[in-house]
Amino acid sequence: MKKITALIAVTSILSCEPALAGNSLVSPTAQTGIAKSSLSATPDGEWNRLGRRDGKFVELWTKDGDSLNKVSFFGGVPVGEALFKEVDKKNRPLPKVSDGMLITDIPTLLESSYRIQFDVRTMTIESQEPATLGGHPGLRFAYTFVSGNDEVERKGEAFGAVVKGKLYLVSYEAPSIYFFDKDLPAFRHLASTLKM
Amino acid sequence: MRKRLLAAVALVAATAGVKAADLLPPFTVGYEPTNVDERGLWMDSDNRERQIRDSKLTVHDEELNRYLTGVLCRTVGAERCRGVRIYVMQVPAFNASMSPNGMMEVWTGLLLRVQSEAELATILGHEFAHFELRHSLDGFKQQRRSTNAGAWLAVLGGLSNTNTSGLQLSVIASSFKYNRDQEQAADLLGFRYLAAAGYPTSAAPDVWRHVMAEQDATAVGHGRRPKPEYQDGFFNTHPASARRAIYLEAESKKIGDTGKDDGAARLRAAIAPHLPEWLDAQVKLNDFGGTEYILEQLAGNGWSGDLLYARGELYRLRGNPRDLATSIDFYKGAIAAGYRQPQVQRNLGMALLRSGRPADGKSALGEYLRLLPGANDAKAIQALMAN
Repeated sequence: MKKITALIAVTSILSCEPALAGNSLVSPTAQTGIAKSSLSATPDGEWNRLGRRDGKFVELWTKDGDSLNKVSFFGGVPVGEALFKEVDKKNRPLPKVSDGMLITDIPTLLESSYRIQFDVRTMTIESQEPATLGGHPGLRFAYTFVSGNDEVERKGEAFGAVVKGKLYLVSYEAPSIYFFDKDLPAFRHLASTLKM
Repeated sequence: MRKRLLAAVALVAATAGVKAADLLPPFTVGYEPTNVDERGLWMDSDNRERQIRDSKLTVHDEELNRYLTGVLCRTVGAERCRGVRIYVMQVPAFNASMSPNGMMEVWTGLLLRVQSEAELATILGHEFAHFELRHSLDGFKQQRRSTNAGAWLAVLGGLSNTNTSGLQLSVIASSFKYNRDQEQAADLLGFRYLAAAGYPTSAAPDVWRHVMAEQDATAVGHGRRPKPEYQDGFFNTHPASARRAIYLEAESKKIGDTGKDDGAARLRAAIAPHLPEWLDAQVKLNDFGGTEYILEQLAGNGWSGDLLYARGELYRLRGNPRDLATSIDFYKGAIAAGYRQPQVQRNLGMALLRSGRPADGKSALGEYLRLLPGANDAKAIQALMAN
């Protein structure tokens, strides 16, 4: 029986067609309800909202494609939930948001999730300092990581805060060479307009 | 007619035989691939090797590479090992691999897990055996034969209106079986190298016992019942670990005592500079049971400061109230055992804060900032202390 199930699985993987992406344009006007949460922001230029969702609390924006520049909005991940939809819950479960998390636990949660979910093999948190996210006290941190998927070094900058027991996190990531610096000002502007 | 056909087949077979016998071993210095398939595989491997050489995930440590090459050379002999280049890759999992052009990848997760030089030599010998036996080339040809056969079966079945799905399934099964047989052949040749090098051959079955024990510990840590695999599954590319342990144990008993020194201390010394980084990567995989098993194996009879620190991290990251209390004990144990890295104070402080002990927590965080005034998270830590 197991063999048949496995065969069916293999066949269905081979025959499946890419799902319609459903990407949409984000205009430089106030955007509300980002990541189906109370997050809102006003970008200073156009972005694309990806139809793909990496989890029920995540919304992804990009300018040129998410491997070149990606903004991830995590809109209020409650205690006991992971940042992403787990790919292999049984064998590779993701760490969960826990009660009593300190702001300095946020980068570790992101790193651990990345290592498990995206095959990130090296990740360094370069800096951490207090900041606000939508007016709430939180953390701003910068990091560098390399995933085994494409072995490209990427840099990231993120703002995170725990508000009423839920984790809000907005991150920007792009390859260290050229791309990160290119769109960093646009992200910083976006982050400065975040409201909850 | 029949006789002529037989004679032709015999002639082809004989020619093939002569050709095979003429082939130089692939580890020969200056060896060049001999036919189109082999050239293609070597070209792919050369490309991969260029990527690996320049990859940010390659551990560039001449000392470590010298050690690994030394172990390989002792295992397979100086002449054979000259044809191999070893690359240590940052992958927190138990594996190594060998390319047909003599490039060997050793994963950091393997170095973290093998418990002695003899166990390491078991794996390196196994990988070298794949190289010597030209398994990539044979496997590639076998796959091509299988897919050809599968395609022809489908066509002929269609033409003659016969259901060939059963036969096609057999072809798929034979392909996986072929892979498992190659693995077993590499196990057995690797085993002979291990014995000839004077390592205790009990290391060979031990490797697979440890693999199984870790898998069990991982399952228990994730709240599952361990399900050891004693039989090879249909789609398995490798023999079940239990079966490997059994046939290698039988070989080990057959051959008797081949050496006493398993070189555990030499291995530990060689990986020591990288241990904190590799443990950090392992701890962050959210594999509580498996990581606890690895740490216990590394500790053996004594817990060093860096192992206690890693254990503290493992518990703190799981983060249940009881885990935080336990992590505090481990951090303090690490400090008592002479662990001097400032981050032990930082993470001790965070565990104390989360355990409802703000005064002790702030004191530890203060100590962290005293030890590392220019810490890249100093402002964030100060914010924690101010709350």
